[in-house]
Amino acid sequence: MATPTTATGPTTGPLAADFAAVLPDTCVITDEVGLRSYECDGLTGFRQVPAVVVLPRDAEEVAACVRVCARHGVPFVARGAGTGLSGGALPVADGVVISLQKLRRILEIDVENRRAVLEPGVFNLDITRAASPHGLYYAPDPSSQQVCTIGGNVAENSGGAHCLKYGFTTNHVLEMEVVLADGSLVTLGGPTGDQAGPDLRGLFIGSEGTLGICTKVTVRLLQTPESVRTLLADFPSIEAAGDVVGDIVEAAIIPAAVEMMDSLAMEAAEAATGAGLTVDAPAALIVELDGPADEVDAEFEHLTAICERHGATRLHVPTEAEERARVWKGRKAAFAAVGRISPDYIVQDGVVPRTRLAEVLTRIAEMGRDAGLRVANVFHAGDGNLHPLVLYSEAAGEHDAAEELSTQIAELCVELGGSLSGEHGIGTDKACSMPRMFSPDDLDVMHRVRLGFDPDSRCNPGKLFPTPRLCGERPGPYRPHPLEEAGVIERL
Amino acid sequence: MTTSDPTTVTPSSLEELRDAVLDRPGPIRVAGAGTAHDWAGTPAPAGTVLSTTGLSGIVTHNPGDMTAEVWAGTPFAQLQARLGEHHQRIAADPAREADGATLGGLFATADSGPRSLQYGSLRDVVIGATIVLADGTVARSGGHVIKNVAGYDLTKLLHGAHGTLGVLAALVLRLHPTPQVTATVAVPCDRAAMTDLARRVADSPVEAAAVAWHDGRLLALVEGSERGAEARARRLVETLGDEAGLLAPDDATAAWEAHDAAVRARPDDRAVLRFGVIPGSLSGVLDGLDTDTGGLTEVTASPRTGIATVALPADADVVAAAHRRVADAHGTSTLRQRPPGADLPAFGPAPASAALLRQVAASVDPDQRFGRGRLAPWLPLPSTTVGATA
Ligand SMILES: Cc1cc2nc3c(=O)[nH]c(=O)nc-3n(C[C@H](O)[C@H](O)[C@H](O)COP(=O)(O)OP(=O)(O)OC[C@H]3O[C@@H](n4cnc5c(N)ncnc54)[C@H](O)[C@@H]3O)c2cc1C
Repeated sequence: MATPTTATGPTTGPLAADFAAVLPDTCVITDEVGLRSYECDGLTGFRQVPAVVVLPRDAEEVAACVRVCARHGVPFVARGAGTGLSGGALPVADGVVISLQKLRRILEIDVENRRAVLEPGVFNLDITRAASPHGLYYAPDPSSQQVCTIGGNVAENSGGAHCLKYGFTTNHVLEMEVVLADGSLVTLGGPTGDQAGPDLRGLFIGSEGTLGICTKVTVRLLQTPESVRTLLADFPSIEAAGDVVGDIVEAAIIPAAVEMMDSLAMEAAEAATGAGLTVDAPAALIVELDGPADEVDAEFEHLTAICERHGATRLHVPTEAEERARVWKGRKAAFAAVGRISPDYIVQDGVVPRTRLAEVLTRIAEMGRDAGLRVANVFHAGDGNLHPLVLYSEAAGEHDAAEELSTQIAELCVELGGSLSGEHGIGTDKACSMPRMFSPDDLDVMHRVRLGFDPDSRCNPGKLFPTPRLCGERPGPYRPHPLEEAGVIERL
Repeated sequence: MTTSDPTTVTPSSLEELRDAVLDRPGPIRVAGAGTAHDWAGTPAPAGTVLSTTGLSGIVTHNPGDMTAEVWAGTPFAQLQARLGEHHQRIAADPAREADGATLGGLFATADSGPRSLQYGSLRDVVIGATIVLADGTVARSGGHVIKNVAGYDLTKLLHGAHGTLGVLAALVLRLHPTPQVTATVAVPCDRAAMTDLARRVADSPVEAAAVAWHDGRLLALVEGSERGAEARARRLVETLGDEAGLLAPDDATAAWEAHDAAVRARPDDRAVLRFGVIPGSLSGVLDGLDTDTGGLTEVTASPRTGIATVALPADADVVAAAHRRVADAHGTSTLRQRPPGADLPAFGPAPASAALLRQVAASVDPDQRFGRGRLAPWLPLPSTTVGATA
């Protein structure tokens, strides 16, 4: 863990004075208590008090703040709501945190053209709230949608339960205004999916705050589907539930969402929410279909037949919106609910090819047994995005073992042909695992692109890329991709 | 500059591709099937043409995961046919596929078809890539899973790069199931009426996959299951009024083929412009261009995405004015056909992000070896003369 700095570090005085020249006093935080509330994001194990926190109120002020940072040669970290789970918004020692919390206006809901123009601090759910009177909504729906910002979503390329059908943030952002590390303002993307020249918009999305600060976003809005039908089904085994997902794919059905929970996760979620989950079922699926009623009805029949064929022990079809919301609450509350069955836990985020779900779950169970720790599983089964929850007790001294198991699980995902992260990002948390997934050349090219945006690497340094300081002199070795080992693909 | 013909190299493996980049000196022009050789900026002379056509075929196809890794030089139509055997497809329908365009070429030129209304363009279904840089560095980004946020999405940088910055060797794609049924509803209408009719399609709950105007009628495409798609198409006919009708399968195929033929038409001595504006401005911009240019031809328009392709006189001032008109409507435009010898502006006024583009280019291809001239003037030719670079 980084050493905490104090608010009276060498850089604070002159920096704060320069910020005071571009912002009102109330928008510059330098007192210890004020600074402390920005010392971490949702990954609370990493903490660092910044030198200064600034709260600009519009894009021009953001640019002015970035220019002050440039003049002083100090690094800065953009911050939305701080709900990130990979330490992306962790402050940098002696650096500045630029909070976007005051840029929270919905600038336009353009019903005719189905788009919304937003400041970066707008909460994800508020977009849908503003659009829904017009029969429209914003599709990406991270579980944290009530409290996370669209700027954070852009930086993390956030997804949600419904991204199997509708895609991630990158598929919904048309245009962005960005402040670059030198304080200049540029527009990336355009009014349509067609753009002239390289897609810098797409490159920026998911870059975890390392390429600049997004100060305005135009997103697409979709029409609220005519029909939504949800099914909660219990299965005698994880394998049976996995086979159902395979058959859904085979049947050419793209559900809006397919979520799977194992018994441990259900036990916790049920205790917390009373959502109607079967506590002793080995596995359950929540499948949601949406779209035109004619289509959804046909698909729903098919779906029910598939579940029955694979020995579903219970099929629950919530009919009222309220009942449906309860089922989703059970699923979405699963993370926090795990607190009821374990004093401490770590949320992991990894991806495997969907067809390897059963295999990865078996391996995770074995690894958990070896480590003497329980692992609960809640995941987006449709796209192979796992969220294993490693349960442990800090008091019993299990912390390090739990961290190690959690990291091993993410790296196992890579070994099985998947990814280190499906939605929470690399940030500080997984930077040292990047060499498991990417070769030095891959990382070097990413770094070169970064230097094109930010030649001095002052924009959220120390995140995403493995650095010797963060990872020790010897980061984990790059290992060939399994497809390379199998001779299917080659790397030079 | 020498007047000798460039040497064409056609590597057939990643290793040969990298070696070609390392062995050949100076600037390299990257070519796929050549169907967009006169799109965007005029290529500067290059001693080497690097053809990707030897890098063809499917590397891996995982039907259960609905992903495939494909060599960039694979003809798109051929690829779709192969995937179709598994009832899967790439949910993109760029018109140039009928001319033999390659996957990499379509991606590099940011081409898309009417289905982009529902599925987005190729960049929305590409989940990873292997690229070769000018110094021979081979890099992968993304991966083989649909959901993946590890590292930068470098692949996007080559979408619309027109052969600059790096060479695409292979792409990994997210696949979609082939719909059981497609149905097309047509309504005769002039361009003035297309916006309102298209709006009615969008407001109905049937969720059309594509809406396009061409040759005096609006076409709306519905894709889905056997039971669902036809019911939806019938609902759409009701929504659109007496003049609307469900096309018989052969007529529907012919209607979309005529649309695509117009998109990829190469009218003699004309320039072709592709542009995108906010959908509500599309009709007005088209009218303005009509007046400015003395009459657009080969007009196709997607009134719900705001994208149109038009032919206009191959005159530098006319084309520049057309780019400006689009830019004034906050849109973007790219030249798609430049008659031989014509010197026409490829793009509109440079946006502020052009400076950023130059810095990124300087970082990944400092000598501008790849695709010189294709993004000019946004990415201007290096001041040193060709051949003088290391
Ligand atoms: C309970 C819980 C559930 C969650 N569920 C999901 C989920 O289902 N799916 C999912 O994808 N994520 C999920 N998350 C993670 C998190 O909510 C998302 O990553 C979210 O996008 C972060 O938004 P934020 O505003 O909190 O960003 P922050 O945490 O403040 O910042 C995240 C990163 O974005 C950068 N950043 C923030 N704003 C900007 C900006 N304007 N310009 C440039 N960079 C910026 C920061 O520097 C940092 O690197 C969950 C988190 C929690 C706590």
